[in-house]
Amino acid sequence: MTPAVEMRGVVKRFGAVIANDGVDLDIFPGEVLALIGENGAGKSTLMRVLYGFYGRDGGRIAIDGRAVSFASPVDAMAAGVGMVFQQFSLVPALSVLENLLVAWPQAPWWQGRTRPQVGRSLAWLDRLAPGIDSRRRVGELAVGERQVVELAKVLNLDPRVVILDEPTSVLTPAEASRLHGFVRDLAAQGKAVVLITHKIADVTACADRIAVMRRGRVTDEGPMAERSPAAIVSAMVGDAAIAEPSRPPAPAGSTPRLQILKLSTVATHAGCPVTDVTLEVAGGEIVGVAGVIGNGQVALAEALAGLEPVVSGDATLDGASLVSRRGHIPTPSDALAYIPERPIDNAVVGDLDLAVNLDLWRLSRQPLFGARPDRARRAFDLLARFDVRPPDPALHAAALSGGNLQKLVIARELSGTPKAVVACYPTMGLDVVAAAAVRRTMLEHAAHGAAVLWLSEDLDDLLMLAHRIAVLHCGRLVGVVPRAAATRDGIGRMMAGVQSDAA
Amino acid sequence: MPREGKSRTKALASAVLPPLVMAGVFLLVAGGFFLSIGKPPLRTLADMVLFAVGDAYSLSETLVKTAPILLCALATLLPARLGLVSVGADGQLFVGAILGTAVVLAWPAAPAALLLPATLLAGVAGGAMFGLVPGVLRGRLDVNETITTLLLNYVGALLVNALVYGPWKDPGNLGWPATAAFPPAATLPGLLGTRVHAGLLFGLAAAVVLAVVLARSRWGTELAVLRGNHKVGRMIGLSFPRQAMLVMTLGGGLGGLAGICEVAAIQGRLQPGLSVGYGLTGFLVAWLSGHRPLPTIVVSFLIGGLIAAGDSLQLYAKVPAASATILQGLLFATALAVGGVAGRLRRADG
Repeated sequence: MTPAVEMRGVVKRFGAVIANDGVDLDIFPGEVLALIGENGAGKSTLMRVLYGFYGRDGGRIAIDGRAVSFASPVDAMAAGVGMVFQQFSLVPALSVLENLLVAWPQAPWWQGRTRPQVGRSLAWLDRLAPGIDSRRRVGELAVGERQVVELAKVLNLDPRVVILDEPTSVLTPAEASRLHGFVRDLAAQGKAVVLITHKIADVTACADRIAVMRRGRVTDEGPMAERSPAAIVSAMVGDAAIAEPSRPPAPAGSTPRLQILKLSTVATHAGCPVTDVTLEVAGGEIVGVAGVIGNGQVALAEALAGLEPVVSGDATLDGASLVSRRGHIPTPSDALAYIPERPIDNAVVGDLDLAVNLDLWRLSRQPLFGARPDRARRAFDLLARFDVRPPDPALHAAALSGGNLQKLVIARELSGTPKAVVACYPTMGLDVVAAAAVRRTMLEHAAHGAAVLWLSEDLDDLLMLAHRIAVLHCGRLVGVVPRAAATRDGIGRMMAGVQSDAA
Repeated sequence: MPREGKSRTKALASAVLPPLVMAGVFLLVAGGFFLSIGKPPLRTLADMVLFAVGDAYSLSETLVKTAPILLCALATLLPARLGLVSVGADGQLFVGAILGTAVVLAWPAAPAALLLPATLLAGVAGGAMFGLVPGVLRGRLDVNETITTLLLNYVGALLVNALVYGPWKDPGNLGWPATAAFPPAATLPGLLGTRVHAGLLFGLAAAVVLAVVLARSRWGTELAVLRGNHKVGRMIGLSFPRQAMLVMTLGGGLGGLAGICEVAAIQGRLQPGLSVGYGLTGFLVAWLSGHRPLPTIVVSFLIGGLIAAGDSLQLYAKVPAASATILQGLLFATALAVGGVAGRLRRADG
């Protein structure tokens, strides 16, 4: 069989960093290729080179045997390569239909929306998700729905090669398994599908073949049938042994350290506000918070971190209220470690160096003039301990990759001795080794008596590590389930807003 | 290591080359402009340099222009370090001049040791108050500071007019709209017998202090954190509203100082036409200097020279009055264009 895409010796450099170091890869029609590997291994970069998003610095790419060189994604789409990014390229203010028409290729610009054209542009969407009303604005859609619209938009271009960049990271288990079905369908229609993923579940559910990337090269490649999940994991991480944390012991004390009492927040642009949530976390206890993204988990975390005003209710840490009279949480302190989602937007200052970014909590205790003498050394130690790459304290934070930024934030927030930890998707975008390290660190804090509130998109994480799982839907607490009573399906139903019998 | 050496040469080239290219392009453009108005380009350009720094008098006139530009540039620079875009230096300059003048008009007979400091302080306070208003609006109500400072410039200029055409008009002026002349006790003396006044020293001192404070102090880091990421600033307990009011007030004070120095040293009385666009010029200077205090000194001096030379050219070489302003505009446009190209090349390189 001739490959749909043939890549030979592809090189991509960013300044002095080599992201792709002579990659050879074949992608076959009718097959799902899972592209896996640790953070910064060069998976997304390689696919962006194929998609014409980045120019390449060396090597050869052929599609259906013809050598190609794409100057932009427009060329790539014309040649039949479509890519769905982690960050969606939809216009929130336009309706679903308008978004699909904007990207519809055949119509000249002067031609209005004709009925057949509308019909054809909606054909894929109807097949993928018949429940989505095409007149709704994209801004009103849930993240999972946007993902489907984005996929429909790409499929409308009738690509022969479809690239999906971590498509399941924002989906509920049910949505994810439906997506796995679509992916199989696409392959059955003869399309070549590339699935970039960190999740073993994605790989086992739909991949025909896997390619493992490490340090800019494809280090291992072959059909799925020949491997067990354990073999895939070890191929992804190489020689490094991952010590998966064992189930945490029961909480040390039963007195609640972090108490949330009938807390409500104001509505913001991002998803539902928190409404009337009451939740207690004991010292040493890990409470997982599950929910489809945009259902108030982040609003809850931001309220606890003092970032969003509180309308009513209270939150206390060791009995002391975190909420001031004016609704904001007063001077935040490192007694509460807070790991926000999307670190580049919410946790670091991109144009300041790593040393300052690691030192932010101590800023108010700095002398008025001059940095503390130990700033650089402390930064160096933390970067090494949490394996942030490159470990250069003078580097600007914006220069780090997403996964390394996440590690930087973890290093800052979890290197001390917080009384409570509020973590939003702390393992999102991390590779298997780094994610395991984060889980271990969180468990250590719990073992030392910290109250841990853990927001996760990964139900397996929560089912494995949390003592109890709280589920939010539209900002309200649907229920809190002890781990022993929790099942994937049950939690999934509660995430969709169905009241659990157990709760 | 060879690579390090190479990158150092590269860094040096990228620091030195753009200003040189900028100067070359500007000379070409300015020469073209002189040609278009029928003046010999090389001669006029040479004259311009001579009129800016050719002799002691020219140099002193250049420094006279440098002082208000530098202070106004710093008045823009400080809010910019928090990410605010203030164009209000002119308004602050006018209100500083008004409040300083009010002190002189109230106690014209006070001794110099009291009157002069009181006048200067009142000028600073006037500018600071005029900066605080948009600072509060921005910090507490999230009103765009660029719009408010822009509009307050008109308020400041027209307040001066209202006063000198109205209650503060000196009858001895035979209808000329101006206050009475400042008594010697309220006059800022020239340095070394020239018109260069202490305003220049205030500006230099402020620039050096700001350079040190912004680079080395905790406050400088706090401003950088808030500018870089509001949310992170809030997370670690910094208050954007408070800092917005602080930088706008401090910046306003520097603008007010420019105004009262201009009145007390150069004009000798409050009258319209106090500022020949010093505020806006200062804004552009701050921008061209990348909002770094020390380069601001150099750029202010260059622009001061251009303005001073423009005045002299108009007198001696019969170049139209608008030429200085046109040249200034050409210089800024050239600098921004070359800066933009250099930035793009750097990005493509890295």
